[in-house]
Amino acid sequence: MDFEFLIDGEVRKISLQKKDGGFEVLLDGRKFEADIQVISQNLLSLLIEGHSHLAYIGRERNKKYVLIGGHQFVVQEPKRVEKESAAAFSKGEERGPQGNLLITAPMPGKVIKINVSEAEEIRKNQTLAIVEAMKMENEIKSSIEGFVKRIFVAAGELVDSSKPLLEISPKAVNSKK
Amino acid sequence: MFKKILVANRGEIAVRIIKGCREAGIRTVAIYSEVDRASLHVQIADEAVCIGPPPAVDSYLKMDRIIQVARETGAEAIHPGYGFLAENSEFSRRCEAAKVIFIGPNSDALELVGDKVRSRQAMEKAEIPIIPGMKSIGKDYAEFEAAARNIGYPVMVKASAGGGGKGMRIVSSEAGLKPALEAGMREAKSAFGDDSLYLEKYIEEPRHVEFQVLADNYGNVVHLFERECSIQRRHQKIVEESPSLALNQELRQRMGETARKVMKVSNYNNAGTVEFLIDKNKHFYFLEVNARLQVEHPVTELVTGVDLVHQQLRIAAGEKLTFNQEDLKQRGHAIECRIYAEDPTNNFLPSPGKILFFQEPKGPGVRHDCGIYSGWEVPIYYDPILAKLIVWAEDRELACLRMSAALDDYVVLGISTSVGFLKDVIRNPEFRAGKATTAFIGKHFEGWGEGKKDEAKIKLALVAAAFDELGKETWENFKDKNVAGLGARDTSSPWKVLGRWRIGGTE
Repeated sequence: MDFEFLIDGEVRKISLQKKDGGFEVLLDGRKFEADIQVISQNLLSLLIEGHSHLAYIGRERNKKYVLIGGHQFVVQEPKRVEKESAAAFSKGEERGPQGNLLITAPMPGKVIKINVSEAEEIRKNQTLAIVEAMKMENEIKSSIEGFVKRIFVAAGELVDSSKPLLEISPKAVNSKK
Repeated sequence: MFKKILVANRGEIAVRIIKGCREAGIRTVAIYSEVDRASLHVQIADEAVCIGPPPAVDSYLKMDRIIQVARETGAEAIHPGYGFLAENSEFSRRCEAAKVIFIGPNSDALELVGDKVRSRQAMEKAEIPIIPGMKSIGKDYAEFEAAARNIGYPVMVKASAGGGGKGMRIVSSEAGLKPALEAGMREAKSAFGDDSLYLEKYIEEPRHVEFQVLADNYGNVVHLFERECSIQRRHQKIVEESPSLALNQELRQRMGETARKVMKVSNYNNAGTVEFLIDKNKHFYFLEVNARLQVEHPVTELVTGVDLVHQQLRIAAGEKLTFNQEDLKQRGHAIECRIYAEDPTNNFLPSPGKILFFQEPKGPGVRHDCGIYSGWEVPIYYDPILAKLIVWAEDRELACLRMSAALDDYVVLGISTSVGFLKDVIRNPEFRAGKATTAFIGKHFEGWGEGKKDEAKIKLALVAAAFDELGKETWENFKDKNVAGLGARDTSSPWKVLGRWRIGGTE
């Protein structure tokens, strides 16, 4: 079977075929055999060309975590990734309506303070809100210049990592209109 | 000795204390918040009582509720662990009033050393060297501003009730003073319920060296040598070790004697730690007393062979110390790494969430004090510390190698942890040379990233992921061959494992 994965920022192709109780792997144009033993639901033993490796696997709805030799990788299906984050600018930001920027909580936590008010003009790197998780305060900063369009949360509210906190309308877009 | 005690904490330290009690034949009562029902400390205690909603102020900080639980369950004493109520003299006083023994110092000593400002005054009077700075709490901005000018920038904002870096801020110029005071107050208020602050001269690039002390109720005080804790980020220790390469035998003895004197001046009893800063010229200054069992206590346990939890229990039960200063020796070298739920590649943002899989390192000289397990969800409400990895070896270099290997064997999947970052710290040449100061992390690890991954390992990860994608079908074809192997390694029924695998594989 052929697979496509997004790993370490790149889309990679791999083919796995059953062969003589093991597998034949085709990867980057090279063929090799892999003897794969299931040790437990989270652990695979790989014997490849005489070398022994352990692969730990954790599964989430849309991604796998694979740890090999002390290095952890997040492995995702490229199609899913495109669908989910095509609109994302960077972590903690999403494209909102009319080219506006939705600032989301970077991690689950509690809103300690909203530092701006609606319609306020904001600078790049200005602190918009403070979200606390695990007793650490984290400042949420604006990556752009613009105006606060809407505020969705209030101080004291618990937020999940996907929860939009504020909507920012960029200055550049506004001036074009 | 006690028959039953209440452990007023959660996470790895509650687990550590409960295990110590079990060894000593003491039954334990765990307390937990609504979000901690599935936590490890609840599982291993003899009894467990829910004490309220998730926020610490409604649960782990509810003094009267906790004392009430102790009385209702017949617990004779309360062990507070670290954090939460550990250094709260009001709590200690209420325990005394309720005739429940507080496993820690008496409330007067706790009050003195817990008030950083008052203890600075007391130590100065006893001719113990202190860091230059304010000797009373700042009342308004004008006072802070004037004091900062007087001390000279850079200054350090500190919480009078402080500890663990909470409320602390370095201020390099007047422009930064107001926001630092505001943030410091908020953080101190939420961490200690007390927002008083003061300013100290910020000592640049010091080494942080502390002495573990034990004092019984009869005036016997011993120190159990030093721990060096210079590897810090945001004033939070992340790597600790003993012995410290900053000390020679003469300085060690001088500082150890000073630490004993600090405890005598404070009329202190039970376990405590005297923290010092050492400047570039090897002058040391009293920083504060940590009036509790510390996070990094295992380092001392490994080099001295003394179990500090057992000692705390014995002292609290009224027993005398059974050894004196001359009986204590440092042997070999111990290093501890704190494992936090945070993302070192993303500005150390906290990383709560579900642990998909967890496996701890094992082997000669490896100790793991741990509060987590596979399938547990790390809550957002508490400190991000998950566990501590501690190694012992006959010398420092071997201890570093052992730590490095143990970190490679540390498996946590599903949430981000500090493991990868810690590996780079342990492998850093300046750390290896034993020359690191508290500026080390800021200097070498600003904007740290994991670097480009090893291509051979990426290939292996792809093979594993592809095999996993084949999922159920693969498993069906391989099951005859593998069930025997599974049975030998896993004591649970192979059919049960098979069932779970199917669920995982078809996702």
